[in-house]
Amino acid sequence: MTDASIPAMPAAPEKGNRVSLMEPDARTQKRKAAERRFRSYGIAGIATGIFFLIVLLISIVSSGAGAFQQTFINASVYLDPVKLDKNGNRDIADLRKVSTFGYTPLIQQAVFDKLEQNNIETPLEKRGDMKALISASAAAQVRDVVLENPDLIGETVDFRILASSRVDGYLKGRVLREDVARDKNIDSEHLDLVDALVPLGIVEKTFNIDFITGADASESRAESAGIGVAMIGSFFMMMVVLVLSLPIGVAASIYLEEFAPKNRWTDLIEVNIANLAAVPSIVFGILGLAVFIQFMHLPQSAPLVGGLVLTLMTLPTIIISTRASLKAVPPSIRDAALGVGASKMQSVFHHVLPLAAPGILTGTIIGLAQALGETAPLLLIGMVGFIASNAPDGVASGLLDPNSAMPAQIYEWAKRADPAFYERAWGGIIILLGFLISMNTLAVILRRRFERRW
Amino acid sequence: MNDMRILERDVDAKAIKISAKDVQVFYGDNHAIKDVNVDIQDKTVTAFIGPSGCGKSTFLRCLNRMNDTIDICRVEGDIAIDGEDIYDKRVDPVQLRAKVGMVFQKPNPFPKSIYDNVSYGPRIHGLAKNKAELDVIVEQSLRRAAIWDEVKDRLGAPGTGLSGGQQQRLCIARAVATQPEVLLMDEPCSALDPIATAQVEELIDELRQNYSVVIVTHSMQQAARVSQKTAFFHLGNLVEYGETGTIFTNPEDPRTESYITGRIG
Repeated sequence: MTDASIPAMPAAPEKGNRVSLMEPDARTQKRKAAERRFRSYGIAGIATGIFFLIVLLISIVSSGAGAFQQTFINASVYLDPVKLDKNGNRDIADLRKVSTFGYTPLIQQAVFDKLEQNNIETPLEKRGDMKALISASAAAQVRDVVLENPDLIGETVDFRILASSRVDGYLKGRVLREDVARDKNIDSEHLDLVDALVPLGIVEKTFNIDFITGADASESRAESAGIGVAMIGSFFMMMVVLVLSLPIGVAASIYLEEFAPKNRWTDLIEVNIANLAAVPSIVFGILGLAVFIQFMHLPQSAPLVGGLVLTLMTLPTIIISTRASLKAVPPSIRDAALGVGASKMQSVFHHVLPLAAPGILTGTIIGLAQALGETAPLLLIGMVGFIASNAPDGVASGLLDPNSAMPAQIYEWAKRADPAFYERAWGGIIILLGFLISMNTLAVILRRRFERRW
Repeated sequence: MNDMRILERDVDAKAIKISAKDVQVFYGDNHAIKDVNVDIQDKTVTAFIGPSGCGKSTFLRCLNRMNDTIDICRVEGDIAIDGEDIYDKRVDPVQLRAKVGMVFQKPNPFPKSIYDNVSYGPRIHGLAKNKAELDVIVEQSLRRAAIWDEVKDRLGAPGTGLSGGQQQRLCIARAVATQPEVLLMDEPCSALDPIATAQVEELIDELRQNYSVVIVTHSMQQAARVSQKTAFFHLGNLVEYGETGTIFTNPEDPRTESYITGRIG
């Protein structure tokens, strides 16, 4: 090699032009400015994200917190034997014949009595005027107690009965006095009454466990609606998803990743799995409707069908994350196992799978969390739009009886007219988010705990 | 060991352990190994040397069919161990690999305890009837790999927590625990420092008492130090195979001479 082959260097800067290291030259300054700009973009992006997250959380909590509180009226109801048990023999069959209409006057009387006892002046003179204060569910509430303990008939029993949703709304600031003029359900006299009863402790707002454990209620009884039964529906669906998608997904990914030959067919399968993960969930919903309900005649609205549909939806997620974590296991471990004479399957099950397990677990939990929040497919298989009023008894009924699921229940509430349901929709969101956050936290903890380095 | 003694090495004819005839290996369309014929003796250390990419590791991996795990790899020709063709349809590669142990370039202990690392092979092959027998095998293997004294108090500690040289000796212990007849070593010292290398080389010399050892190495000094026979590979061909002393002092082929003197490679 000779020097001639090296292209001539541009002329070196003259000695006199030498810039001191103490002061950055123009180029350096420009580069530094670009770097500062880029950093500020990043910080601005993150700040925007955090701002919106905070706004979201604040709005969820402020709108939904009310759902966890409920207004009750403490009243002593005289369970009049003349009305409730005409024959006087406390026969349960006879007691059942008395519908909630028989109880309503008794409850109204009880509230009316409270006014008289406490000398509250009101233009409302009849016990029937109390109707606007009391929830339509109150009669059923009292009736259930009586049917369980027929001996109570003839006595005066203290009840904590549900107040109507307007009274509840008034105490929570949802119903304002200005609006009452246009409201047929309640008027300002009733609100005066509520104002007078609250300091006496007769009308009180307390924590409402029924919202978390209870069942949905009809359109006119927002105050007694709860998310508990829908939660059980979601639970059974998640069980179906877990039991089906974890073994199928893991087995499929192990086969594809470790055993399957690499050819055109497996390439095709791989591409399709990746695409399935991006298919809109409503497509899985209509597939479930056509296959599971119309073709296989599984019961409509059943968590079993919901679970099957969500399994189809979760499988690609689990397969993709499982394959990724299998791929992340260093090939040297496989070589080591094969080198001491382990069979392919032994090398996978003894060495590769345990190392991939944390990744598989997190993938599964995140897939489950996704499925838990999924609404669209449930709309198509009928897990929405009716009132799941009874908690299932036993596993078979939990799987096969019509039920709803948490997100579907929230959607259902958000659709309804009474603003009390709107509040409950937000409350449901809080519970759902609580579940999702705890599942994701579990995923993170599992990954941290079991992640191994080599 | 002393390089000066190289010519006086024991060159007695021993039983042939592995015999390869006209071996061809293809990676897809790439003809990686061409017409390799070699007879590897029992209770001998045979070194494969040659420049990078010459096919020595590929050929080594043919000897225990590790190449089966690579989809596009195709092996032709005959390789026989004790006269039995290992590429015969009836041969189960899993059984073969128990007989032909392997130590890899990078120490790759399982992320399990030291004890589990060594006992894994014997356990899956059913070499021990009970825990006591297994304990004996583990101790013997660790002793044979000259690492027993360093780890005997912490057999429950993870194998990945050892130093690089210790890990490699653990891998050797793991390989000898299955009581193989042949031990293949693919550049076992390339990730080790000179002290660990010396330990492993000493170990290889001891292993020669019981096994036929085949070692791939980039270091010609190492080949000269540990082996009795040396094979020089170049561009997929076996250029020269013979006594280590002869190869290093009086090679027949000009390519071997160029490589040994540092002109190609």
